[in-house]
Amino acid sequence: MIAFEHVGKRYGGRFEALAHLNFRIARGEMVFLTGHSGAGKSSLLRLIMRLEKPSRGRVVVAGHDIAQLHASQVPFYRRQIGVVFQDHQLLFDRTVFHNVALPLEIQGVEPREAARRVRAALDKVGLLHREKALPIELSGGEQQRVGIARAVVNKPALLLADEPTGNLDPQLSADIMALFEDFNRIGTTVMIASHDLALIARLRHRILRLSDGRLVADEGAV
Amino acid sequence: MRPSATPKRQKGAALKAPRGSAKPAVENKAPRRGARSQQPRFSSRLRAWGRHHRSMAWDSFLRLVRYPVGNLLTMLAIAIALVLPAALWLTLDSARLLDAELEESATLTVYLELTADDAQALRIEEAVNAEQSVLETQLISAEQGMAEFQQALGLDDALAGLEDNPLPISIVVRPESVDPVAMQQLATTLEALSGVDEVRVDLAWVERLRNLADLGRRVALALGALFGLGVLLVVGNTIRLSVESRRREIEVVMLIGATHAFVRRPFLYSGAWYGLGGGLLALCLLGLGNHWLSMPVAALAASYGASFSLPQLDATGSTILLSCSTLLGWLGAWLAVTRHLSSIRPR
Repeated sequence: MIAFEHVGKRYGGRFEALAHLNFRIARGEMVFLTGHSGAGKSSLLRLIMRLEKPSRGRVVVAGHDIAQLHASQVPFYRRQIGVVFQDHQLLFDRTVFHNVALPLEIQGVEPREAARRVRAALDKVGLLHREKALPIELSGGEQQRVGIARAVVNKPALLLADEPTGNLDPQLSADIMALFEDFNRIGTTVMIASHDLALIARLRHRILRLSDGRLVADEGAV
Repeated sequence: MRPSATPKRQKGAALKAPRGSAKPAVENKAPRRGARSQQPRFSSRLRAWGRHHRSMAWDSFLRLVRYPVGNLLTMLAIAIALVLPAALWLTLDSARLLDAELEESATLTVYLELTADDAQALRIEEAVNAEQSVLETQLISAEQGMAEFQQALGLDDALAGLEDNPLPISIVVRPESVDPVAMQQLATTLEALSGVDEVRVDLAWVERLRNLADLGRRVALALGALFGLGVLLVVGNTIRLSVESRRREIEVVMLIGATHAFVRRPFLYSGAWYGLGGGLLALCLLGLGNHWLSMPVAALAASYGASFSLPQLDATGSTILLSCSTLLGWLGAWLAVTRHLSSIRPR
């Protein structure tokens, strides 16, 4: 599903955020990406989302070098990836329902079908009863779950998450991770950047460990 | 809209999806999701596109109504920018009508020698008529000339005292072309005919008026261009602020796969609404100005023994004004959004 081939990323010509990255993630795998802050976790995810292009090497997703995508194709590529952000990236002037519906609205899904899928996604994260609430009225954990619902509402084959449990207490974090495992179980490839080592060690999935932009360990690979 | 990918880029063919489609870039082998992954039919994509247009038109209208005072001020600025060139255009339009009348009345007068009798006059008229650039002629006998003169000056008594009619027979010539050079040429030709004493071409005032109208037209054009630019700037600036205030929203929708066209759409509609609102206000202002000026203008015209009413924008004129203002608003928004989208990058 994802292959990094000799990938390096420099910012401003000097700072080397990532270097010599080589790894593959199979379809349907669930992988944790870990390392101290500044190790390059977010940069790596940004490369997959094609918010940035690698300075060196190739990032191949589903068999295609995504650096070759024309700017006009990038939006269509991004629609195939669900992303959960640490700061949720929710719109605070819209209800929970409309936040989750946003990707479907962008894709032009017919409203009745969209509503059905939004409710299914909200139901999955246990927030169906809050669909009319504004994000500001929700707790941190609930906001994160809205973010997850939005990421999965169009059933992406690939789900990325950047520190999804960053600000949550251990119990909520475990709940969120369980949600990701559920999505993985139905075939979604999941990649989660997290520094919550205790939590991810318990979950027994493959772990990619980054340090100073280099891959220093690849544990539990299948 | 950007052109689609070059052939070189089509290496990633499976990832390449036509604009507007939701074709999955990431292959999806899970069978139960197969149906969803299929590219939607063109008709359904078109429906989705139309739906988004409708909802954005409505949404941007609601945003406009939500802050009525500020938005009304913006529209008023647009209206004022539109009123001036529109008013000038109207004035020139009525001047054009006047101009047409003037062309009708642009004539040459051929004065025959005093010794010429009626038979000679008829021969000369024939000769004049033979000229190619002459449209029609009218023979005015000495008596007719005297009668007109008396009527025009009201000098009945003084003229009645004259023994002989001092006026020559004259021929009024309507030329084909009212171009000053052509008329002067015709005058020279006619003057050369035997029996002709003098040819008068009173062109100076025709020319002056025409130059004035020409000047006015140019001023109107320049003003129109300038104020059109003003409308672009007003709308552009307003839209720039609203892009800035919705920056986060734009970043988020771009993160989850919105195209530039999708992001641009609500702002384009806002711009068009501003333009339309400004145009409507401009129409109101023009109507108000017309109402305010009509009384003194009518009084002024009456004092000259003429009836003249201020020109008003008819249905066609109003439609043109509204379409122009809407288009200008749309264009201003397009320029502003396009300029700013390139500076907005998802974090």
